[in-house]
Amino acid sequence: MTHLTLSNVSKQYSGTTVVKDFDLDVKKGEFVSFLGPSGCGKTTTLRMIAGFEIPSAGRVTLDDVDITDKLPNQRNVGMVFQAYALFPNMTVAQNIGFGLRIRKESESAIKERVSEMLALINLEEKGNSYPFQLSGGQQQRVALARALANRPQVLLLDEPLSALDAKIRVSLRAEIRSIQKKLGITAIFVTHDQEEALSISDRIVVMYEGKIEQVGTPFEVYNFPNTRFVANFVGSLNTADAEVVDPVKGLLSMDGFHFESAEGTKDRKKGDKIKIAIRPERFGFASEQKKANVVDSTIENITFLGSVVRIQVKIGNTKFNMDTFNNPFLELPKIGAMEQVTCSREAVLVLDE
Amino acid sequence: MKRGGIVWSWLWMIVGILYFFLPLLATFMFSLKAIKGIYSFKSYENLFADPKFLTSFSSSVIWAILTILLGIIIFVPTAYWVRLKVPQLRPIVELLSLIPFVVPAIVYVFGLVRTYSHPPLLIVNSPGLLVAGYTVLSMPYMYRAIDTGLRAIDVQTLTEAAQSLGAGWGTILFKVIFPNIRVAILSGAFLSFAIVLGEYTLAQYLAKPAFGPYIGLLIQNKAYEPAAATIISFALTWAAMGILELVGRGKQVQLVGGH
Ligand SMILES: Nc1ncnc2c1ncn2[C@@H]1O[C@H](COP(=O)(O)OP(=O)(O)OP(=O)(O)O)[C@@H](O)[C@H]1O
Ligand SMILES: [Mg+2]
Repeated sequence: MTHLTLSNVSKQYSGTTVVKDFDLDVKKGEFVSFLGPSGCGKTTTLRMIAGFEIPSAGRVTLDDVDITDKLPNQRNVGMVFQAYALFPNMTVAQNIGFGLRIRKESESAIKERVSEMLALINLEEKGNSYPFQLSGGQQQRVALARALANRPQVLLLDEPLSALDAKIRVSLRAEIRSIQKKLGITAIFVTHDQEEALSISDRIVVMYEGKIEQVGTPFEVYNFPNTRFVANFVGSLNTADAEVVDPVKGLLSMDGFHFESAEGTKDRKKGDKIKIAIRPERFGFASEQKKANVVDSTIENITFLGSVVRIQVKIGNTKFNMDTFNNPFLELPKIGAMEQVTCSREAVLVLDE
Repeated sequence: MKRGGIVWSWLWMIVGILYFFLPLLATFMFSLKAIKGIYSFKSYENLFADPKFLTSFSSSVIWAILTILLGIIIFVPTAYWVRLKVPQLRPIVELLSLIPFVVPAIVYVFGLVRTYSHPPLLIVNSPGLLVAGYTVLSMPYMYRAIDTGLRAIDVQTLTEAAQSLGAGWGTILFKVIFPNIRVAILSGAFLSFAIVLGEYTLAQYLAKPAFGPYIGLLIQNKAYEPAAATIISFALTWAAMGILELVGRGKQVQLVGGH
């Protein structure tokens, strides 16, 4: 059974298309992130699910009911905003109970649900505080509780962590995820932070210029990017110009240095210009003379990042980043030294020019 | 150099205070001179003994309250809607709200009389027309106060948050918007109150009992009582402001405290 479906959804503002042919099926209880750069249409898509924007074309259905044209207050959808948007004139408890009061639930039922929600977000003692008396992280938790109190069919979150500082951002995202799992609620989470999306989602929808680039689990999106944009946007990536030497074997040449790619290059011809892409963590120093993908390099620069040491190497005229785990008992190479580096055939991605 | 600056600012402040309070003080002293040779509250006694004083004053208070209510009913939803849905029209609406400043009251009242004194719009004798006219006169203050109040809250996000929780427009206006701009509404209400209480032209030409025309009449016939009436209305207006201030205070703390 489909739960939340967007089929062929598009949105135009005075002739400019900002979301185009958006197709997505979300399962019940799934945590889906919309990930993409600023202006790619994440918020617009989310707002069409919430009912704040009406699609120019396409349909939105929720539990087999077409909600495309329903007003926001007639959909059972919870929303969490970047700016918290708590009602300043109401206490925490009144904020959380707001939606229940609109549904004319009994005072005792409201009271019970509010304390349940306060317990869920670990703010039992703050029920009578006003929003301005809370920290940003606490306010956003209250906003989450308020959105959940109504038992919505879907929870929508538009960059809910962007206004918070780094530490709280990480702890609150874990809290959001655990609450979402506990309640089994479907969630759509908008972010432009790839690490956030990778860490929190069941599936990620990577968007670019109003279109879906790829939909997949964090593992799939990171390890098997479908497009050059996804490869670049999710995680960091070394790219370099190269050309096809042997399409059948997947042999490529970059400035005369040869790389083999496990990815098929059969649909390409010898001499085709392509880009090769290799993630920094897929490189390593060559411990033995392997057959494939061992190349000479010069150590250009070494950056200590804590758990990871980023080593910049130069292969021919191209600089690559190579990430290795920090090991206090291993000596790092010297800058300017010649070293052989290698990567597996699977690590070499082939992207269109 | 620095000291000189402080001296100057004190000097100007004192000049300002004198400019404002001296006429008031003179009026007050004058109002105490009803009995030759001694200071007394005789003129105030005379005033309170005059039944017309009370009726005209209470009429004006009623007009003021109705004006404030009508102003709130009209301008809160308008200012809210403009901010939410057509923010690009805000400068135009703001300009429109200033029209009462450029149209003299006498011109305005003759416009009202001409328009509404023959069928089908024969309402020139209705008190409603006076209240409506006062609402227009108070528009620059009321509308701007409300608009300023709305600027202090995130109207769009709060509206959307309420909508996603199932609220309709009525709930949003009464439960979310009104309470959060209470202080702004109160300050607009105070200014409207002061304007209506001192207004002469509209009440005079629409022939309604009001405090302004009453003082006008007093001035023509009495010497000391108009001064006493002026002092009373001034004191009452300030008292009204004090009450509004007190009522508004409780909420203000919360609103100012936001992030
Ligand atoms: N009401 C509107 N009228 C006209 N254009 C709009 C409107 N809302 C959004 N847009 C445009 O649509 C595009 C997508 O906007 P959207 O807010 O969905 O981006 P986003 O992916 O959420 O970006 P960000 O990460 O910056 O929030 C942008 O180019 C934006 O300028
Ligand atoms: Mg956005």
